[in-house]
Amino acid sequence: MLTIKNLHATVDGQEILKGLDLEVPEGEVHAIMGPNGSGKSTLAHVLAGRPGYTVTAGSVHFKGHDLLALSPEERAREGVFLGFQYPVEIPGVNNVYLLKAAVNAARAHRGEPEVDAFEFLTLVREKMRLMRMDESMLSRGVNEGFSGGEKKRNEILQMLVLEPSLAVLDETDSGLDIDALKIVAHGVNTLRAPNRSQLLVTHYQRLLEHIVPDRVHVLVKGRIVRSGDRTLALELEQRGYDWLISEAA
Amino acid sequence: MSTAVLNRLKDEFGAVRAALPPGVIDEPRRREALEALCAQGLPAARDENWRYTDLRILEQARFAPVQTQAAALPPLPEVPEGFARYVFVDGQLHSGAGAAHGVAVHTARADDASAAAWRLEARLPEARLALLNETFATDAVSIEVAAGTQAAGIELVFIASAAATEGASYPRVRLALGAHSRLSVIERHLGRTEAPSLVTSAVQVDLAAHAALTHYRVQQLGGQAAWFDTLSAELAADARYEMLAVGAGALSARSTVHARLTGRGAEFSLAAAALADGQQSLDLYALSEHIAPRTRTEQTFRGIASNRARAAFNGKVVVREEARGTDSRQSLRGLLDGAQCEIDLRPQLEIYTDEVSCSHGATAGKLDENMLFYLLSRGIAPEAAQHLLKWAFLEDVIAKITPSDLRRQIETTLLGQMRELDTLKELL
Repeated sequence: MLTIKNLHATVDGQEILKGLDLEVPEGEVHAIMGPNGSGKSTLAHVLAGRPGYTVTAGSVHFKGHDLLALSPEERAREGVFLGFQYPVEIPGVNNVYLLKAAVNAARAHRGEPEVDAFEFLTLVREKMRLMRMDESMLSRGVNEGFSGGEKKRNEILQMLVLEPSLAVLDETDSGLDIDALKIVAHGVNTLRAPNRSQLLVTHYQRLLEHIVPDRVHVLVKGRIVRSGDRTLALELEQRGYDWLISEAA
Repeated sequence: MSTAVLNRLKDEFGAVRAALPPGVIDEPRRREALEALCAQGLPAARDENWRYTDLRILEQARFAPVQTQAAALPPLPEVPEGFARYVFVDGQLHSGAGAAHGVAVHTARADDASAAAWRLEARLPEARLALLNETFATDAVSIEVAAGTQAAGIELVFIASAAATEGASYPRVRLALGAHSRLSVIERHLGRTEAPSLVTSAVQVDLAAHAALTHYRVQQLGGQAAWFDTLSAELAADARYEMLAVGAGALSARSTVHARLTGRGAEFSLAAAALADGQQSLDLYALSEHIAPRTRTEQTFRGIASNRARAAFNGKVVVREEARGTDSRQSLRGLLDGAQCEIDLRPQLEIYTDEVSCSHGATAGKLDENMLFYLLSRGIAPEAAQHLLKWAFLEDVIAKITPSDLRRQIETTLLGQMRELDTLKELL
C-alpha cells in the first residue's frame, strides 16, 4: 500500500526527515511513535502534501504510484486521508457540505456520478451515531465551536464517510479523555479491512490499547530506529524514549 | 476640480429648478442646501475621510435629475415573505402598496405633505453629499410607524435605469418609528443595466423610545454605476437599530452612516459585508456616537477585494462625556485576494469619559493557509476551496440576515458575483 524509501524532508530550510524507510502493506495498521520533535507530524504532512514541507530526497509510493507527484487534493481523491492533530475551524462552511463535497470530489475522480442526497444523509447519520455525535453538528460550521474531543471525532467521522485506502492519523489521541478515546478507537477499528491500511502517529501507548497495531515503528531524529510488534509499544511505555535516542546517537 | 464642478452644479440647478417639485422640497430649501454644499466644497481625495472613495465620476456626471422614466422594469427578485414592496425608478415612486396596519407610507409625488416634512440631519462634513440630494430630490418616501405597532416589513427597491450623462437619481427616505414600535425594512439599490448611473441617496432614521428597527441595505447597482449614500440616525432611550449592509455592485460606492445614540440604553449595531472585484471601489464610513449613558454599539465589517478592487471601512466610535457605562465593539476584517487589490480598515475610538468598555480589532490578510490546506486534504479543488473560504468569510455578516428568502437572494447574488454559483450553490 505505502512504500517510503530514504525520505528526506525539510521545513523552513531545516531537515526534519533524514532518510526514513517504511513499508505499510495492505490491510495493516502501523503505529509511528517517537519523542517530541522526532518528525512524526512532518511525516504525516509530507504524505498529505502540505505546502512548505519540501521533500529533498527519497520516494513515496502509494498503491505502486509516485505519491509525491500528486497535489494534495489528488492524493485525497486517490484515497489518502490525513486526520489532523489540530483540525481547523471553518465557520460559514457547514460540516455536511464539506463531507458531501469531499465524497463527490473522490467520486468524480473515479468517474462515478454524484452521491444520492438521501442515501448520503442516511450514511452520515449512521456514522455519526457510531461516533456518538449529535446530529446538530452537521449543520454547524466545520469544527466551529467544537471541543477538542468533538473535533477529533469529526475527523474520524470524515474518515468513516470517505473510506480512504490509507488513513494517516496525526496524534488523534492527544487531548482526548478516556471515553472519547474509546469512541475514536472504535471508529478506527470499524474501518479495518483487507484492502485498507492505517498509519497512526502517536506519542503515547494508550491509543494502542484500543487499536491493536500490526507493527510499531519508533521515529527518532527523522529516521525509523526500531520496528517491532505491539510489545515494542509496551516497552516504550515502561522505558521511555531516552535509550533509543542515545542508541540513535 | 471642485470649483469647475460646483459651477456646473449651480448652472444645472439654475436650468432645472423650476421643474423640481416643490412638494418634495421647496425652492428656498434647495437653494440653501446648494449654498451649504458650495460653501463646504465637494469632497476630494485629500479629505481624510474621503480618501478611499472613488470620486472621479463627479467630474463627468450630470447632476440634474433624470427626466424620463423607463417604461419597463427589469426583472426583480421575489418579494421576501412578510414584506410589502415599493418600487422607485430613478428616485421616483413607480408602484407599491400593502403596508400593514399602523404603518403609513407617504410619498411626496402623491402630494402628501408628510413625506416632505423632514430633512436629513447632515451634521458632518462626511454627510455633505446629502445636500446634493436635498438640492435635486424629485421624490421622497416617509415611513411612519405608529407607537406600539409591531409591524411586519417594508421593502424599498430603488432602480437606477439611466446613464449618468442623462442625469442622476436621488432616493430619499425617512424611517420614523414611534415608541415601542417595531419594523423591518429592506432597502435595495439595483441597477437596470451596465449604464454608469449616478445615485445619491439620503436616509433619515428616527427611533423613539423602545422602538426597534431592523434595516437590510443591499447595494447591487450595475458595474459602472456610482452610489453616494448618506444615512443619519437618531436613537432615543432603549431604541434598538440593527443595520445589515451588503455591498456588491457599483464601480464606486460610498456610504456614510452616522448614528447618534441620544437616549439612555439605546443600541446600534452595524454589520457590513463588501465584495469588491475588478476596478470596484466600495467605501463605508460609519460614525457611532454615544451621547447618553449605558448605550451600546457594535460595528462588524467583512470585506473582500479581488483583482484591482478596493474595499474600505472607516469606523469611528465617539463616546461623549455623559455616556457613562457605554459598551462598544468593533470587529473589522479584510481579505486580500490578489496582489493589486486594496483593503483599508480604520478603527477609530474617541472617548471622553471613564467607565466604558470599548474593544476593537482590525485585521487584513490573505486566505488562511491552514484552512485552505484542510479543504485540499479533503479532495476539494484549489479554486473551489478558495471560493469556499471567501464565502465563509462573508458569512459572518450574511448569516445575520434573518429572513431566509432574503438571505438566499443575497447569497445567490454574491456567489454569482464570485462566479461560483454552480459549484457552491449547495451551500445555500
